Amino acid sequence: MTRKHGNIRFSPGWLFAAALAFGVLLVYIGTPYAAPKQVASAKAGDCAACHGQEKVFSPSHPDTKAMSYKDCLGCHAKGGPQMLQGKLPGSHLHQLRGVTCEKCHGKVAKPEAVEEKLCRTCHNAEKLVEKTAKVKPENPHTSPHYGTSLDCTLCHRQHAKSENYCNQCHKFNFVVP
Amino acid sequence: MSDDIGQKKGLTRRGFLKSAGGVAAVAGMAAGGVAVGARDGLAAAGSMPKKWDQGYDVVVIGTGFAGLAAAIEAKNAGASVVVIDKMPVHGGNSIINGGDFCAPGTRLQKAAGVQDSPDLMYKDMMKAGLYLNNPELARILADNAGGALEWCEDYVGAKFTRLNFHGGHSVKRANQTVNASGSELVNKMLAKAKGLGVEVKTRTKMERMIANKDGRVVGVEVKTGYRYPDEKTGKTAYIKAGKAVILTSGGFSNDITLRQIQDPRLTEKFGSTNQPGATGEALLAACMAGAMDVQMDWIQLGPWTSPDEKGFGHVPLFCERLVGYGPMIDPATGKRFFKETGNRKERADAIILIGHPVIIMGDSYAVPKQVFPRALEKGLENGAIKKFDSLEALAKNYNIPLEAFQKEISRWNSFVEKKKDDDFGCMIFPEARPTVTPPFYAARLWPKVHHTMGGLVIDKNAQVFGFNLKPLKGLYAAGEVTGGIHGAVRLGGVAMADCIVFGRIAGKNAAKETAWG
Repeated sequence: MTRKHGNIRFSPGWLFAAALAFGVLLVYIGTPYAAPKQVASAKAGDCAACHGQEKVFSPSHPDTKAMSYKDCLGCHAKGGPQMLQGKLPGSHLHQLRGVTCEKCHGKVAKPEAVEEKLCRTCHNAEKLVEKTAKVKPENPHTSPHYGTSLDCTLCHRQHAKSENYCNQCHKFNFVVP
Repeated sequence: MSDDIGQKKGLTRRGFLKSAGGVAAVAGMAAGGVAVGARDGLAAAGSMPKKWDQGYDVVVIGTGFAGLAAAIEAKNAGASVVVIDKMPVHGGNSIINGGDFCAPGTRLQKAAGVQDSPDLMYKDMMKAGLYLNNPELARILADNAGGALEWCEDYVGAKFTRLNFHGGHSVKRANQTVNASGSELVNKMLAKAKGLGVEVKTRTKMERMIANKDGRVVGVEVKTGYRYPDEKTGKTAYIKAGKAVILTSGGFSNDITLRQIQDPRLTEKFGSTNQPGATGEALLAACMAGAMDVQMDWIQLGPWTSPDEKGFGHVPLFCERLVGYGPMIDPATGKRFFKETGNRKERADAIILIGHPVIIMGDSYAVPKQVFPRALEKGLENGAIKKFDSLEALAKNYNIPLEAFQKEISRWNSFVEKKKDDDFGCMIFPEARPTVTPPFYAARLWPKVHHTMGGLVIDKNAQVFGFNLKPLKGLYAAGEVTGGIHGAVRLGGVAMADCIVFGRIAGKNAAKETAWG
């Protein structure tokens, strides 16, 4: 950028930089807040390791640094009013129960999305159907349309908000962990 | 600002283009270019890619009945085949349909002693279609529906176990799948196709058809890893179709912009019974490549749907069993307004003319006798069907002027007693009784968009016809994306037959095409 008699002249370099800045801005608009770091070695209860000093809990919440999933359940019993399912991202629930980043993504510098069949090595479709047979108004793990063939990640997301895929056409009030 | 630039020094132009914003911006420019170019003529489907990422003889777009039938036939004729679908799941609308397959002279009809023929099915289709149907295509459908059903049973292995009746047909001819869902057929076709070596790729969205300088369709530009409905997702790739592209992408009932252009009444006030991906961009992409469309404004609404539940829901099964047993009421006046047993189109038009939802109701004689228990239970559970101890309570809930309503119910009951409706000529069934026994059940009705009869023009070979009035080389189509077969009204249960008959024809002919290069 050069100034001459108070007028601003745009050099090609400046234009490129401005375009670049605009581009960067566009990218940031897609992310309303800074994503937490992903520290694979962090203990599951150590929120600050990834989130920094960002307030994850209300001030009255006990320190979780040394807690295990079992400890959480003292207050957050599954099926109870304070259950964690549907509130915490799936990856956190996995972590708390000992399924660390590496167990799915392997020991790599840049973890990549894993194939859905990896989910099914632990989560047996038929057993899930049995487990949720009494969920109202319908069993979420089977349907007259797709049986048990659907991709787990249609509903259960690990690093994003989970969603209720059925609700595209239906209105089922499922809690989706 | 300058600080931001300083911090992001490492960001290269290439890196920027790879990022989400960059891809969207570039994709936007490309799409704009296609739309402008499309007006220039047939070859305007855009430029040829520098290199094809993948190549097959036949590229099928859509994993519903028509697409899978086409894929199986093309594969069996020796072609290499890929089937792509933009959605993360297979089956489109086919997998949520009711599994009714209309065909004449079937095993189930013979067992039930029903006399039927292709001629009679053809006549029924033409009459319902107000004779706007393409007679040649309607004839092919009626003549081949029986063979298509046998193919589904004997070759694909789908089970059909029940014979149903649909309004507008002269006889019972809807052969229903064992699970009362199209999924029985879709899932077995999918397994068959995969077993034959057909590749099936979901989350792969066709962005444009690619034609060469002669106007021949030679492939498609897609986005792989597309996460419906986020247009920012997916990576551009080019799939070469050595012989042909077969478009089986379904109708556009859920495309509010497109359907409102065709029928301005169909604003966002109208829901749809369709899956969310039932939009028209693939059909329009074919038009941009020179394909002609026909009868796009014949869009079918189901008059039996409820605004109080999503999609198809449970109320259609409540409503359709009650017509001829209980009255349909306009809550603003407390009076009846139309023949309850009229056809889909007449009734939907009557409700739209009123401009707000109406009521269908029945008493504790009619409802338990007529309505499938599960439908009633589920409808009550989701609140779309309501139960009232008295007519007063019902009137209060829907804000119906009580006196007029009570008078109208008495009048209706007098018609039921003499089995003749002096006001609207409703068919009153022999076992119907006056609506007097509490509790009363009611549901609101507001039509939903169900089927788009219009679409691409095809010939008897399922080859798409162009705006130059010649067959468009390299492009075939089948199913709801095509138009003209059903004319003004598509009869219940005929969509399945349409998809299988023309899907098979498209697959066989696509495989026979001479490769372009």
